[in-house]
Amino acid sequence: MELLPGASSALYGSGGMNGTLLISSKNPFTSTGLSVQAKGGAMNLNNKYRDASPYYNIGFRWAQKVSDKFAYKVTAEYIKAQDWLARDYRNYKRVGTNGAVGIGTRETDPNYDGINVYGDETSINLRSLVLDAIGTKVPFWESYIKTLPQSIMVSRTGYTEDQLVDPNTVNLKAAASLHYKITPRIEAILMGQVGGGNTVYTGSDRYSLKDFKIAQYKLEFKSDNWFLRAYTTQEDAGESHNLTATTRQFNERWKPSATWFQEYGFTYLNAKMSGINDINAHNMARAAADNGRPEVGSAQFKELWDKVRLTPIYQNGGLFLDKSDLYVAEGQYNFTSLLNNAVEFLVGGNWRQFVLNSENTLFHEKDGPIKINEIGAYGQLGKEIIKNFLKFTVSGRYDKNEFFKGKFTPRFTALIKPADDHSIRLSYQTAYRFPSTQQQWIDLSVGSGTLIGANKKIWEAYDLINNPGISAPEFVANGSRNAVSYKEVMPETVVSYELGYKALIQKKFLVDAYVYTGTYNHFIGRRDVLQFTDATNPSVYRGISVVVNSDAKVKTFGWGMSVDWRLPSNFALTANISSDEIKDVPDNFRSSFNAPKYRSLVGLSNTGFGPKNLLGFSVNWRWQDKIDFEGDFATGNIPSIHVVDAALMYKLPALKSQIKLGANNLLNQYYTNAIGNPSIGGLYYLAFTYNLL
Amino acid sequence: MITINKYIHKLNFSIILFSAFILQACNKELPEAVPIEYPVGSASETVLKKLDAPEYSILKTAVLKASNFTSSTGRLSDILGNPEGELTFFAPDNTAILTSFTLLGLPANASSLDYFSAGKLDTLLKYHMIGGRTLSSDKITSTFPNMYLQSALVLAAPSKDLPPGLRMPIFLDKVGTNNFANYVPITQADILASNGVLHKTAIALLPPDQVLWQKIATHADYSYFKSAVIKADEGDAAKTLQAALSNAAANLTVFAPTNAAFQALLTAQITPGVLPLVKQGYINTYILPAIKAANPGIADADAMVMATAAANTEPHKTNILNAAQAQAAGMAGTPDVFNNPALASVLTPQTVKGLVVYHILGTRAFSVNLPTTESNFPTLLNGAIAAHPGIGIKAVWGAAGVTAITVKGLANATASNVLINQFVNGTSDQNFINGAVHRIDQVLRPQ
Repeated sequence: MELLPGASSALYGSGGMNGTLLISSKNPFTSTGLSVQAKGGAMNLNNKYRDASPYYNIGFRWAQKVSDKFAYKVTAEYIKAQDWLARDYRNYKRVGTNGAVGIGTRETDPNYDGINVYGDETSINLRSLVLDAIGTKVPFWESYIKTLPQSIMVSRTGYTEDQLVDPNTVNLKAAASLHYKITPRIEAILMGQVGGGNTVYTGSDRYSLKDFKIAQYKLEFKSDNWFLRAYTTQEDAGESHNLTATTRQFNERWKPSATWFQEYGFTYLNAKMSGINDINAHNMARAAADNGRPEVGSAQFKELWDKVRLTPIYQNGGLFLDKSDLYVAEGQYNFTSLLNNAVEFLVGGNWRQFVLNSENTLFHEKDGPIKINEIGAYGQLGKEIIKNFLKFTVSGRYDKNEFFKGKFTPRFTALIKPADDHSIRLSYQTAYRFPSTQQQWIDLSVGSGTLIGANKKIWEAYDLINNPGISAPEFVANGSRNAVSYKEVMPETVVSYELGYKALIQKKFLVDAYVYTGTYNHFIGRRDVLQFTDATNPSVYRGISVVVNSDAKVKTFGWGMSVDWRLPSNFALTANISSDEIKDVPDNFRSSFNAPKYRSLVGLSNTGFGPKNLLGFSVNWRWQDKIDFEGDFATGNIPSIHVVDAALMYKLPALKSQIKLGANNLLNQYYTNAIGNPSIGGLYYLAFTYNLL
Repeated sequence: MITINKYIHKLNFSIILFSAFILQACNKELPEAVPIEYPVGSASETVLKKLDAPEYSILKTAVLKASNFTSSTGRLSDILGNPEGELTFFAPDNTAILTSFTLLGLPANASSLDYFSAGKLDTLLKYHMIGGRTLSSDKITSTFPNMYLQSALVLAAPSKDLPPGLRMPIFLDKVGTNNFANYVPITQADILASNGVLHKTAIALLPPDQVLWQKIATHADYSYFKSAVIKADEGDAAKTLQAALSNAAANLTVFAPTNAAFQALLTAQITPGVLPLVKQGYINTYILPAIKAANPGIADADAMVMATAAANTEPHKTNILNAAQAQAAGMAGTPDVFNNPALASVLTPQTVKGLVVYHILGTRAFSVNLPTTESNFPTLLNGAIAAHPGIGIKAVWGAAGVTAITVKGLANATASNVLINQFVNGTSDQNFINGAVHRIDQVLRPQ
């Protein structure tokens, strides 16, 4: 794996705004035989909400070079564990804010909406929708009801994530590939990989991915100077469901909200009239309306839950179907050697097709599955102007997505070597990002409203062009009505400048430092709007979250520094610190730029000490600053995080094996990296690896 | 070797520093949800505790006695003393309670409490409370006629006669800066307690124990009104008016004319009807024989012409009118007049119904709720004739409260007077489960 930091779409296509991760695997011609890794451990220790549980991870790889022309490999991995639990039960304020964590519990806030509590997103104004109606039917209560506040927000009772999601997570992956050398320098590879399992993840909501499957098939031809490959990724979300939608519908099926709130309203009034204070009256009302509520673990609960989670979202269930596929073909030719290495020159191109198919559960697919075609072409030219001192590289690419205007993005780099083992790099880069497939085509009702994509068809379907929504936070704050009109969403572009310095001192001490600044244009984010749908009744509206470009030029700024110090006796010390900041984000605009202002890592390791240098160890301390986290599911503060990972290794050279005793998050300090995400604690393991040394 | 040792020495030191640093570095535990703290008012004493003041000693004794009663709506002292409760309590002080004893015909003495059982006191005192609200005086409005609220006195278990949730209603109003519970003045408002608010009242609030129809159907001075109601319901299988006056959940004001008022109206109305018959009888009996005697041999036809002419002259004219009025008064002299076959074409159920409903307001208004400048209010007649201007009502205030009330029907030459007497078995502000009755001295005429 190799991480290329910085904007890099010149060679790698759309999306490489902040860096690109390249993944390549070992070739069966050169690495043969059996490799095995077995890892067992314990996690969820000292977890308030879950018992300690085992962790297993078993994997193997078998590769054989059958002849000089043919080789193959087979790999498989199996992981079984009890997943970390998302257990943020703080109260979430959806209405009237851009999303904020507030105070309140189920017992003290009738409108409580816990972050990892589902079903309690269903909320109404009891006064206007229930009590006033009771007043007209029960005239002798009407005047009493009129003495109550105009707004009495009440939410239904939810269930916590641990009550809903099976903690057992199982993941299985298997892959096989055939490698054939057509000529000694041209290799053909046919690869297939399937995986599946279950887990819970946070996206626009919390999703329980159950029995999902993902498969990838690839055919590739490669040589020293070129490659040509085509691959496809086929997803099937299986029985995956949206926890918010599923639980809300579960509540509806058990007792429709109309009935539930009615019972609540009557009990609330009776309790108050008998002299109970407000919050206790609310709690009595909830107890009455919740009477007979399916108990977690009961047969009634399971039967109803299974029914709802297996019913598609558009049929008032929670199941989302995602059978989306991706097809990619790409090729590249490097002319450098043909040009006798006088200049570096390469060209390439690609074609991608996304086929979104959620059967209307995630995407706006009124006319069937959505196909999105993207093509791109690129070239790169590098020339050493002054030998061993100055090198220029120029590259550029052109991309066209069928729903967006084409985009050309150039990049220039200068590399200066003032002395041996010292280099300075200067670069001007441009990169761009088409809105993601979700940002283009999502059409999904979530807790607080509906998330829609940028495509005009969806705006039309919601009549947002003729009847634009008004910016929700401002309306709620001071009643001002600022319409958010339709504007074609443009790809986001960034122009960035970077200055870097790298030095290797005495062949032992590697220093790398950089600063960059980027200016985003057409920054893509979300705005929450309220659309009033009945001109005669101003209380009829719906919340919609729309994708828009920011008119403002959003700026990012960052710097980083790392040192890598090779010490005697096989010790090594590494340390890095970096900073990323975003500026000029307009108000009421959710940038979802969730990088901490500072983060750092300090690590100490030894690759051989003790008897015959058979022992080794590594200790890493990671720290990141607090984040004002912004997400479609929830927004709030993530405090700073410290994590210590450590491992002790013992080599068994005779067996070509190694035993490793280690811990991720050694100090078992639970942390979350996003609002609504699980609390991650320590994972302590003993691992045996064979033939991976 | 020395160099390496030095390195290792340095390294050890840095490891110690590093370890100390990471051990100190702790992640913030994911915060738990924070309960909302509900503000506790400045008052630290519950309503019950407030009654420890000497001026409420009789009330406190009554509360404690009432709390011996096992009530389905809870022990009174538990409710008033519940720090997690919320209520508005109307607290008659000792003076107010002694005044109330006098009004009830009991000795003005604290020991008069002995006349009341624990259960009776539970009933009485729960009528002094509105649950779930802290209705301080700033929340009491002056909108006509009043704020119609539910006390903590649950009427009875739901039945076909009593809808669920029906509590004895209690009515708050503001006149200028004065506040009233029903027609009872609040003498000191806004005594804040930790679980609500107390208002001191001038007398105890006595909960009614009858519906309007029980009173109207049995009280001697409403026998005409009763007959009129029954006549109005004639042919109506649902007996709409009697049902409304009997419905515990209704909320009405009845301006009930006295029997004398009905007699006066009916006499005046019947007289022209009986006049031709009386006149002919008078002519035949008195004038015609006299003319025949004075003019022997006169033709019958000529004698009748002369007699008819003479009837229009005095003293015959007055005699005839008196005779007609006497006959009409005789007919009107009994509440059965509404069933007199001779009047069947005049006193139809529909006509009588129009008359009766013109005396009833669809809300409950006590004297203190009425306007001080004459204003028109719709009556139940407006249910049939929406455009009818209703009745004109005006209250006159004196130093001690409302001293006079007039109610004027559209066709009445003069306004009727409410007979002012608020107190027990009086004639104005008579409160019933489903409405108030004010007795008036004229029948109101809609047209």
